[in-house]
Amino acid sequence: MNELLIKIDHLKKTFGDHVVLEDVNMEIKKGEVIAIIGPSGCGKSTLIRTINQLETVTDGKIYVDGKDITDKNIDINEMRRRIGMVFQHFNLFPHLTILENIMLAPVKLSIMTKEEARENALKLLERVGLYDKASAYPKSLSGGQKQRIAIARALAMNPEVMLFDEPTSALDPEMVGEVLELIKELAEDGMTMVIVTHEMGFAREVANRVIFLDEKGIKEEGTPEEIFKNPQSDRLKDFLSKVL
Amino acid sequence: MKKKLLLLAALAVMSLTIVGVGDVSAEETTVTKQQAGEEQQDEEKQSGEKVIESIDDLSGAKIGVQLGTVGDIYASDYEGDDAGTVVERYNKLADAVQALKQGKIDCVIVDEQPAKASIENEDSLKILDEPFKMEEYAICIAKDNDELLEKINSALSELREEGTLDKIISNYIGDDTKGQYPYVSGEEISYDNGVITVATNAAFKPYEYYEGGEIVGIDIDIAKAIGDKLGMEIVIEDMEFDAIINAVDSHKADIGIAGMTMTEERAKSISFSDSYTTTKQVMIVRGENLAAEELTFRENFVRNFITDSRWQYLAKGLKNTIIIALCAVFIGMIIGFLVAVVRVTHDKTGGLVILNAICRLYLMIIRGTPIMIQLLIIYYVVFKSVNVDKILVAVIAFAINSGAYVAEIMRGGIMSVDEGQMEAGRSLGLNYSQTMTSIVLPQAIKVVLPSLANEFISLIKETSICGYIGLIDLTRGGDIIRSITYEAFLPLISVSIIYLVIVEALTFGVRKLENRMSTDEK
Repeated sequence: MNELLIKIDHLKKTFGDHVVLEDVNMEIKKGEVIAIIGPSGCGKSTLIRTINQLETVTDGKIYVDGKDITDKNIDINEMRRRIGMVFQHFNLFPHLTILENIMLAPVKLSIMTKEEARENALKLLERVGLYDKASAYPKSLSGGQKQRIAIARALAMNPEVMLFDEPTSALDPEMVGEVLELIKELAEDGMTMVIVTHEMGFAREVANRVIFLDEKGIKEEGTPEEIFKNPQSDRLKDFLSKVL
Repeated sequence: MKKKLLLLAALAVMSLTIVGVGDVSAEETTVTKQQAGEEQQDEEKQSGEKVIESIDDLSGAKIGVQLGTVGDIYASDYEGDDAGTVVERYNKLADAVQALKQGKIDCVIVDEQPAKASIENEDSLKILDEPFKMEEYAICIAKDNDELLEKINSALSELREEGTLDKIISNYIGDDTKGQYPYVSGEEISYDNGVITVATNAAFKPYEYYEGGEIVGIDIDIAKAIGDKLGMEIVIEDMEFDAIINAVDSHKADIGIAGMTMTEERAKSISFSDSYTTTKQVMIVRGENLAAEELTFRENFVRNFITDSRWQYLAKGLKNTIIIALCAVFIGMIIGFLVAVVRVTHDKTGGLVILNAICRLYLMIIRGTPIMIQLLIIYYVVFKSVNVDKILVAVIAFAINSGAYVAEIMRGGIMSVDEGQMEAGRSLGLNYSQTMTSIVLPQAIKVVLPSLANEFISLIKETSICGYIGLIDLTRGGDIIRSITYEAFLPLISVSIIYLVIVEALTFGVRKLENRMSTDEK
């Protein structure tokens, strides 16, 4: 639990003249579950997307396992294999079956043979409780099922860390539970995770650490206890009063 | 099924209407003919038609000619005079004759023999006895090819002295001598001295025309006789008349022989051999043609399609049209695909700057100029003096053209795939091209498949301009029949029906495909 996995160092991100993030510093240790909360448009998604470089940084460094992934010369594809990502809108591949969705990357990248990938995919499907959907197309699934498949797809690469970008925001309320339940199980298994979420109850229950992001940077961080029971800044108090 | 029937019914009505209109106008002509001369003239003047009875009537008339012929050159002298003479230039004599028949022009100036052939079955057209001009035909050769010019001149004079020249001509002209002296090459001739490529325009009976799938005629026989004298093999290239001088000048053909009159203007760009025959330019005008045979629809049909197996021109043309369209669309898709990927990659990543600039230039040029010009440029400029198969030229031209349109269709398709798909692929560790090929493109292709099929359908119709490089496609096949029979209706209608059937069949197929795709993925 003490090994440093990700280090964000003086991160700055701008879109044109608009500064989204400034001087963000953050460390993520192996096995940690971190929830990032904050008002809409505060840069939560941008921050999590810089960790696998879907968003480039304007300034600053991000180290994963000691390697600077903002370095132009690093093999970013190799680094991304170790960082799973789950999107708000699932982004399943509609032209492939569920099984093919999960098998695609391991097979394409020659990490597994087709047979191994298939076995692994079926195992993951069993884990997310959708074994019977293996040969279905994404179109036929509910939102909650899609997100569970997306999680299985990310897990198929055996990542060291999982990034969740608002994984339940696009779901109907009755489907939120099944997805959160799955993420919770992953946490219990010891997966390192960074979760951008609006589900305060969930953040409180699952996270080891909660980070409150507002106005271009981290305004407060601490254990769920500290953040939710004893907020220090007015901004966090104000935010919590609105969402709780 | 109902739709099909409806379509057929519509077609039938359309055809009948056209036939019907044709009949009515024929009747009208008969009535006109029966009226007294003066009255008739008045009436025709009122309807804006001018009666030509001699050369003196030409000023102020609408004169029809074949583009680039001597008739064109002479008629141009009248053009723009105070009397308001107008010269209408047609690609084919048959078109000019049809226009005359329908009253769109007042007379056609053309060489005597083709004029006779063209009105054989037209009871409402006649040739004026008074000749328009006397002239001489000669073979044209590139200016820098004096060696060949000398050879041809000496061969011509030998042929003249031994009487072969006269025999060849009388085999085609003259009621008593027609078919009496077919030219046959001697048996012991060896063709070791190379090849002479001969440019001609096989729509000029009896000098050059199609018969039984072959190009024949006085000029062709003369060319063969010259080849026999020189021990050289003769290869005939059919093209538009106004393209012949260009082809000879650019060495796409060694000589041109196409009932071509020696004129000063032409002599500026090419050399002429000695003249091989004297002929005259005549004027075809509207008037009763006593010699004409009136044909029934059935006879007409037989004449256009059955006699000499003329339907084969359509069959052969159709085959070429399909080959060209299929090959071109296949290569075009590869080109379009690559261009689209370059453009999208540039848009999304900012890379491939030079390639993207090249692609944009390509798209700009191809989409900004007519396909016909592109085809001509590729044939006459790019493949200048390279002896390359015309079908290949057409395939290249249409593939390059189609590629530009496919590129934009594909680009639209790729852009329509959600950004999240690329992100999901990349987040799994796939690189850009892996994500593109296994995730984005398969989805993009599904989106654009109907548009691609439509592109193919319009490509098939666009290939109808292949005739401009002398390639026999479906349209050209119909044109050849028209130039033999001087009949517009049947060949044109049958060609359009064939196009229509192909397009309808493909459209039906596309609809099936779309239906299947929409039930997929469920």
